[in-house]
Amino acid sequence: MPKNTYPDTLSLSRKVLRVLKELNLLMGFLISALLIASLVAAEPVMAALGVRRTGDTSTLFLGMRLIMVIGIVAVPITQRVLGRLLSIVESVLVGTPFVSANAVRLQQIAWGILGLELLHLAVGIVAASVASDANPLALRWTFSLTRWLAVLLLFVLARVFEQGARMREDLDGTV
Amino acid sequence: MPIIVKLDDMLYERRMSLTELSERIGITLPNLSILKTGKARAIRFSTLEAVCEALQCQPGDLLAFDPTASAEEA
Repeated sequence: MPKNTYPDTLSLSRKVLRVLKELNLLMGFLISALLIASLVAAEPVMAALGVRRTGDTSTLFLGMRLIMVIGIVAVPITQRVLGRLLSIVESVLVGTPFVSANAVRLQQIAWGILGLELLHLAVGIVAASVASDANPLALRWTFSLTRWLAVLLLFVLARVFEQGARMREDLDGTV
Repeated sequence: MPIIVKLDDMLYERRMSLTELSERIGITLPNLSILKTGKARAIRFSTLEAVCEALQCQPGDLLAFDPTASAEEA
């Protein structure tokens, strides 16, 4: 019965989202530590990351640090996306999903995912511009229609929620 | 709101309480109370039909339009 399985699914989602938020913060901390370490002791850190000491590696080092910075920038955006999603899940759990606050949250998630997708693109551009045959980077940007469609879908869904919330408000005063 | 609900007057005329009307038409007392106090934003035709049937009246006996009433008093 869907009525019985939904709350369990939602509770599970809430737990997963909370864990993901913690993991995201941990990821941010680890990337920050790696960036600091790469500035303090560049050679050993880059060697540990698999960079071979062939030719001029300064551009590659700079590119890798830039990618780390992009990774750090992505952390608060991801945190915001996960936080908004968690708020939506909690509103469904208490039985009030069709509220204008959720429409705003969905729109913020859409902007967040768009931002993350652009950061992903930036990583690809940096990786492509600093990688060479001697020092290739395993980070490669690939176009994914699914991800861009997801962004579009989220914006559409936000508008659907906005309309739904308005209809719900109307219905609340109907006898 | 320019739409005035005269349910209270009709109930008085028919010597019927709100609780009795609620039991007869199967609409909860809080919902009927919202309607009676003019706090409702909309009324379903099914509700109007049930109230008219129970009170033996016309929709016009229950509702009136007063353009001088403030639209913000919803």
